[in-house]
Amino acid sequence: MILLEAQGISKTFGGLKAVDKVDLLIEEKEISSIIGPNGAGKTTLFNLLTGKLKCDAGKIIFAGEDITELPTREICRRGLGRSFQRINIFPGLSAFENVQIAVLAQQKKTKNIFSPAPQSVVNKTNEILESVGLIDKRYILGGLLSHGDQKRLELGIALATRPKLLMLDEPTAGMSPEETEKTTELIFKLAREQGLTLLFIEHDMSVVFSISDKIRVMHQGRIIAQGKPEEVKANNEVQRIYLGEEV
Amino acid sequence: MKFLQNRINSLWKMALVIILTFLLFLPSFLSLGNISLVIEMLILAVAACGLNLLMGYGGMVSFGPAGLYAIGAYTTALLIVKGKVVFSLAIIAGPIAAAIIGLLIGWFCVRLTHIYFALLTLAFSQIIHMIIFQWYSFTGGDNGIVNIRVPESLAPINNYYYFTLALTIICLAILRIIGQSSFGKALQAIRENPERAEFIGINVRRYQLAAFVISSFFLGVAGSLYCGFNRNVFPVYAHWVKGADIIVVCLLGGMYNFWGPLLGSILYVIFDKLTVSFTEYWPLVLGMIVVFLVLFMRGGVAGFLSAKYSALSLSKSEMKK
Repeated sequence: MILLEAQGISKTFGGLKAVDKVDLLIEEKEISSIIGPNGAGKTTLFNLLTGKLKCDAGKIIFAGEDITELPTREICRRGLGRSFQRINIFPGLSAFENVQIAVLAQQKKTKNIFSPAPQSVVNKTNEILESVGLIDKRYILGGLLSHGDQKRLELGIALATRPKLLMLDEPTAGMSPEETEKTTELIFKLAREQGLTLLFIEHDMSVVFSISDKIRVMHQGRIIAQGKPEEVKANNEVQRIYLGEEV
Repeated sequence: MKFLQNRINSLWKMALVIILTFLLFLPSFLSLGNISLVIEMLILAVAACGLNLLMGYGGMVSFGPAGLYAIGAYTTALLIVKGKVVFSLAIIAGPIAAAIIGLLIGWFCVRLTHIYFALLTLAFSQIIHMIIFQWYSFTGGDNGIVNIRVPESLAPINNYYYFTLALTIICLAILRIIGQSSFGKALQAIRENPERAEFIGINVRRYQLAAFVISSFFLGVAGSLYCGFNRNVFPVYAHWVKGADIIVVCLLGGMYNFWGPLLGSILYVIFDKLTVSFTEYWPLVLGMIVVFLVLFMRGGVAGFLSAKYSALSLSKSEMKK
């Protein structure tokens, strides 16, 4: 079944076509990645899909519903969760509170003005913190965690919104090789366990080729190639763009 | 560890009981003048804690709390003097009027952020001030409204003290519950990162508006209480200088701690009276306090204290979860 479909979406900044008539089909439970050189339009594409930016043209259909004009929070509530390239957490709240607020929002409990978070939310929060490996650091303020832990916290917040489609923008950026490997394994495990559909942007080719079912290559605002890892690897144009990189 | 936690919790409860008993017997060993000071402290604490829901929890710095405070005070005053409404109804109407005006003002203000938000709240507050100041036939202009009658039972200062104490405890308890609730958590998340809050599905503006209205309500409670205490109301209640007082109280006590504004109002009233006894330049002293706070004690007195005992407070929060 098709979970997300983008039809000819475009975004122009000044004269620059950041995203140029991109079509995208994402199947349920698919784990796919978007790669491409800096400035290819990957993050802009994410921002269009999650409603952070509005499309100049085109249409986005998620789980059978047109979400092109919806505000971010509505898109999130329909099951499209994301993490960010640059750390985007609640720095003054503890790791626990960071995840808890996302659980509360997902369960629509944030309107409860006279009652604190119920035990079920606390349990769910601890479960998520456990799965991203932050359970021992849950009382540390988000802003004081190490870079790698903040990235994991970001993942935890995104997971707490119970997404059908989880979009991760460079989930291992700035991590050491060991951390990258651990995080990649974690993401892969979580996606499989929870039956998530995963779409991620990544620069680390070992990550991309180890876990993707499908790879899409973006260049100058367009998707120039897509397919299974080996197909993409063999593509001439991709090789030309990535000349010098180990593809 | 758990043993220590229980000790701390029971210590807290004991302290609370002692403080409450102390407050109950306060009139038996304080002069009437000093009881008046305590009433002022309590009313200021309600206003500051109300504002703090917006400022400390929600991260929206409002320069216009005085306008809403004055709406509470004037609604109560006008209803009693012009409307011949009984005191008990008039004092309930004050906060409700403040909440309604807060809804109108807030609807515009939450569309802006940071300095623009602050300036718009200031502008609305000054509009309220000008209306009160200019509308002689209705509000009495700069003559204010004087000789507001309160019921016989509340006329003695000591009785009004108990009335204020009871309402203050109720208001602070409600604000505490709101701060600890899921809604309170959402507000804090919005303060920390509004963009991320949208991305987890929170309607940021709506929550900000709700916080604005609740905060307005409690500012109105404070205004109404002050009207009954002073039995006169004047346009200066809506002046931005009054608003600055409430903001400084929050800063002094500490914005990021629920008890901060309460502590702030106690210290503020004491400072005020102490300095007045030997200098007429209270604003100068106030200015120095603000400079000191901003430079050296961002978290206010409560923030300073809780940082000192962070080991305890951290393990305390661990207990709650």
